[in-house]
Amino acid sequence: MSTQQDPTVYSQCIQWQLTDILSPVPVYAVFNRNYAKQPKFVTWQLRNVHQPVYTGQTQSNKGIDSPTFQATVFAQNMNDAFNLSNTILQSLHGYSGMFGDPTDNGFFVAKVDCVWLYNTYDNELGLNQIILDCTFYVPT
Amino acid sequence: MALINKVLPGYVATLWMQEADSPTALTDTQLGTWANVEPIIGTEAGGLGTTGIQIPVEAVPPFGSDDAFAAYSIAGARTGAKITTQNQVTSLSITAPWNPADTAQLLVREDGTNGTIIRTYVVAVYDGTDTVAYAFNGRIGGLKWDMSPSAEGKFEFVIHPVGGNSYGWSNNT
Repeated sequence: MSTQQDPTVYSQCIQWQLTDILSPVPVYAVFNRNYAKQPKFVTWQLRNVHQPVYTGQTQSNKGIDSPTFQATVFAQNMNDAFNLSNTILQSLHGYSGMFGDPTDNGFFVAKVDCVWLYNTYDNELGLNQIILDCTFYVPT
Repeated sequence: MALINKVLPGYVATLWMQEADSPTALTDTQLGTWANVEPIIGTEAGGLGTTGIQIPVEAVPPFGSDDAFAAYSIAGARTGAKITTQNQVTSLSITAPWNPADTAQLLVREDGTNGTIIRTYVVAVYDGTDTVAYAFNGRIGGLKWDMSPSAEGKFEFVIHPVGGNSYGWSNNT
């Protein structure tokens, strides 16, 4: 038996805890909303950041991280959307090496695995959208 | 450089072999010496890539040694004992996505047909900066091509190590 927890409580606790840890740096809960006006652009959001934790009280006894970021390609022109998505695939799918700026916090990824999820079209915005999931495997 | 001090994704492992048609396998001492192993490993895994070629495998299988022990017991005694014996180096069952024109796979195919060629193989583990290498000598056996329509065509083979001591660990220095 278990009780369904209230995510609202989760969000309140996360906000407090992060504020406590990071103070005086401000912490905001952000619901991603896109105000971009360009004819083509890409957004991303990170999810599934998780290292498996293993037995015992040693905090460092844990595994590798394999987070995913979802890239969303927006373009008024359909070919632009496909070409931008293809550029991401060509560059990242199967890629192993430096990820990010090598001179500023860049790090080594063992492999990047991209999945082209689906295409869609937003009639109100007049934008083609292609959504890709990119998972990267990080030595820890 | 020090040994890699991280927990690593399985993706960091790559499999390399000497690329000569009739190679001179490394000696037992050389198998554990980075200067001898480094040329077999490609630059993308922290080696020199001068005498080796990568085998494009789906995954590097477990490597190391087989478990072997002698067990004995004494009548009337509560416990017996297990004593480890000389463990054999583990055979590697390899599955590769088959490309009939792949240079490394052709070399493996020829080794398997020949049956006697002893070649040095290296499993390289690379974290982007440093490399740890497990090198051993072996022959190729068990060539199979699996063209099941439910998946991509696969080229399967087994690398059988030669001798109980014919392996070594090394890392870049």
